[in-house]
Amino acid sequence: MKTSGRRSSSSGRAAPGNSLGRAGLVLFVLMALLPILFSLGYAAAYSTGTIGLLSDGFTWEHWAAVGRRGELWSSFGLSLYIAFVTVVLTVSLALVLALYLRRPLGYGALSYIIYFPLALPATVAAFLVFQLFSGAGYASRILIRLGLIDGIDQFPGLVHDAFGIGIILAHLGLAVPFFILLFVEIYNTEKVAALAQVAQTLGARRRDVLYRVTVPILLTRCFTNIILLFIAVLGSYEIPLLLGRQAPQMVSVLTMRKYAMFDIAQKPEAFIVALLYTVLVLVLILVAFRKGRTAYGA
Amino acid sequence: MRLLVALFGTVLLLAGCGDVPEAEGDLEGLPWAAVETRAQGQTVNLMMWTGDPFINDYLRGYVAPTLLDRYGVTLNLSSGQGSQIVAMLMTEIEAGKGKSELDMMWINGETFYQLRQIDALYGPFTDRLPNAQYIDFGNPFIGIDFQQPVEGYEAPWGNVQLTVIYDTTRTPNPPRTREALAAWVEAHPGRFTFDNAFTGMSFLKSLLIDIAGGPGVLDGPYDADKYARYAPALWAYVNGIKKYFWKAGETYPNSVAQLHQMFAGGEVDFTMSNNDGEVDNKVLQGLFPPTARAYVLDSGTIQNSHYMGIVKTAPNKAGAMVAINFLISPEAQLRKLDPQVWGDGTVLAPDRLPPEWQAPFENLPTRRHAPKRSEIQDKALQELAPEYMIRLYEDFRTQVIEQR
Amino acid sequence: MEPRTGTFTRRRLRPAVAALVAALCLFPFLYLLILSLVQEWSFPDVLPEVLSLDLWARVLGGPTALGGSFLLSLAISVGVATASTGAGYVTGKYIAYHPRRQVLLFLAYVPFIMSPVILGTCLMYLYIKADLTGSVLGVMLAQTMFAYGFSIVFFSAFWNTELRALEDLVYTLGGSPYQAYRRVLLPMSKGMLLICFFQTFLISWFQYGLTILIGAGKVQTLPVKVYEYIGEANIYYAALASCLLVLPPALLLWANKRFVFKQV
Repeated sequence: MKTSGRRSSSSGRAAPGNSLGRAGLVLFVLMALLPILFSLGYAAAYSTGTIGLLSDGFTWEHWAAVGRRGELWSSFGLSLYIAFVTVVLTVSLALVLALYLRRPLGYGALSYIIYFPLALPATVAAFLVFQLFSGAGYASRILIRLGLIDGIDQFPGLVHDAFGIGIILAHLGLAVPFFILLFVEIYNTEKVAALAQVAQTLGARRRDVLYRVTVPILLTRCFTNIILLFIAVLGSYEIPLLLGRQAPQMVSVLTMRKYAMFDIAQKPEAFIVALLYTVLVLVLILVAFRKGRTAYGA
Repeated sequence: MRLLVALFGTVLLLAGCGDVPEAEGDLEGLPWAAVETRAQGQTVNLMMWTGDPFINDYLRGYVAPTLLDRYGVTLNLSSGQGSQIVAMLMTEIEAGKGKSELDMMWINGETFYQLRQIDALYGPFTDRLPNAQYIDFGNPFIGIDFQQPVEGYEAPWGNVQLTVIYDTTRTPNPPRTREALAAWVEAHPGRFTFDNAFTGMSFLKSLLIDIAGGPGVLDGPYDADKYARYAPALWAYVNGIKKYFWKAGETYPNSVAQLHQMFAGGEVDFTMSNNDGEVDNKVLQGLFPPTARAYVLDSGTIQNSHYMGIVKTAPNKAGAMVAINFLISPEAQLRKLDPQVWGDGTVLAPDRLPPEWQAPFENLPTRRHAPKRSEIQDKALQELAPEYMIRLYEDFRTQVIEQR
Repeated sequence: MEPRTGTFTRRRLRPAVAALVAALCLFPFLYLLILSLVQEWSFPDVLPEVLSLDLWARVLGGPTALGGSFLLSLAISVGVATASTGAGYVTGKYIAYHPRRQVLLFLAYVPFIMSPVILGTCLMYLYIKADLTGSVLGVMLAQTMFAYGFSIVFFSAFWNTELRALEDLVYTLGGSPYQAYRRVLLPMSKGMLLICFFQTFLISWFQYGLTILIGAGKVQTLPVKVYEYIGEANIYYAALASCLLVLPPALLLWANKRFVFKQV
């Protein structure tokens, strides 16, 4: 069975249905791309004081002010760390569970129940993590009841902590079910089971089949979604707002803080953080595209 | 493809010609009866913070139906925090929008200052409202908002004072002075903190006033020298006891809501609120234990009013004015004062009330958990100029949080 | 991979893990539901002391007009989900098969490169100029921006050489595009379409900040109405609001479980 291989018939092919796809792309450019490009220009103009209600004209002052403060870099550092850890844990956990529980996930109540966590928004996930894992939370009460700890002060700090454990937990709760679903679906679409069978017939051991056939196919196929997850966690707002510390803050929390600051003359600083964030995300996407494989004939 | 792009661009340009403001006609010369007539059938859009179910019930269940029945004005409530409202109005002004999507908003905290900065308020209008005669604008806690005279650009709606809330079973003797607080915190490590937002900063402001020598010292426009003289003492005080704070003072709750939750859960022993009646509400909602009480430090806490404002480019100004007039009526204010409904202090001066209303206001059900207004009035401090708040926010970050 | 035919404990382990995962998936909903019914629950009790339906009665029976906004939100989100899933399905295919696939795929990420909290203001300026603020259309357009980008990214991972070969086969055998989709492609894409529909529905349903700015208080979706409760001090109201927020998607799932739930 053919697995991959670039087809060379892509040029000049008047395939039916292609025009629909092309129209769809044009629509996307109009309704999404152009507004975003406009927004970037608007943000750039605002950040240099060119536009804006309280601006005095073009100035680099705001850029200088942001550069002077160290909080921007520590904020980026924290966001990158949390996004990285979340993505690694999500993909690992989802892979393991998707493969191990493939049968229950395909046929049975679990195939239906696994959808439920998708229905949780970020705010509710943050609320839940706080209710469950804060000092006076549910987990703490259970431990006290079981006699494992004596009081609140003995409960480990899982929220508002230096390592962002609560933040990561909340993101995991949201992302893992989605990726489990995705992996199972791709597994079936790519007929990995049959491929694995072939490999085994050719003499591969179970472990080789896993690491050389199953996992690479799944990761390659889902790579685009993994990138999206990274970006989503990077720019996450409600979860770090509720569960994070004040210094350093994740990027979106920092941006919002600067935006909603009392001194509205400092609003341009929020746009600057946003623009730098955009640069960071663009770089990440480019690197990912270079190094990774974005499916199809890759 | 290019044609489509060009088309889209043209559409944008055409749309960007700005809309012509509807000639609502000047409300200036109209007598009040004419304003009320014009307000009939209007739909007024009010944007406000909707995070408290009691307040929402008061507005949706009492104010809105009454306005519709009596004046034919439909009140449309929408959610939005102060900073979001300012951002929205700023963008509307920048985009040259002639008719705003909002008509009125609930102005809390420094939002008035910002709105005046961007000239987004309609006014002066309060002198046109018949019920404004019951308000004493000479009262510094009402006529002055963050050291800025109101000048008729916003109508006072309610009056609150910051209190500290505690549980009598856990803390039978709460500290009443700054020094006592420091001693208490040291004796009970990890049981005290405040939020990194408006309420926490107002608390710090109260302490700053105490450090500066009491009420009146920091009044008036912002004085950088005075700040430079007294603020270091405040940070020294805080940093001195920081290690006994919750989580060793390394992090603070991001909102007062979380602080309330931690207090209710027993993680900390104190919480605070800008609204002195809040403890009654929260006990009623089953959040705080019935043994919760509120008090004010001996050195005083900030008292201020919150207001209602009308957007300068509001399309339904007549309806907005009628709505606000109702909100400051004795009838609506009395109901709002009831701890079972909201517990928000009134802005009406008792000596200016018509005779038939004086008794009801006096005989209101008394508060059970919150201190009586009469008790804490002498410990009320005026809000400082907004620049002090800016500095407090910034310096708290640099001088306290970021200091290891 | 075939399940291991292992020892007794191994065979029992898998269903146990499956049950654990299912329990973890359902626990948040149960916890939220119970919390919304609580009247008294103090530390350090593991079970609540008093439960009652008072809060629900108060909220559902009160003047909050939740019914109308529920229907409005449902209509908006279903509209956005349908449009973006359908469009993403087709556009994702176009991009996946395109020789310049990398470049086009990169474009799909563009809605996500800007900080979402700032994007709101920039877009608001644009929407004011286009006179789209305060309208349902404006809100749907803004939400579709993200949903569409997501669905393109999502489906670009799906279209592969085999599906293309199958499609070509249909055409070689003289079939029409309609037949290709109806009989071959759509049945094979059912699972992916469903996941994408849910995700885009949720992207629209949970869109809070943008809806407030662009809707300017005139488009009161259910999430906008209850969102603020979740960040406030009253955890019982927050739990109730969370229930209201997650119930419709959960109900949507339950109503369609025939499509999801495959019997053995």
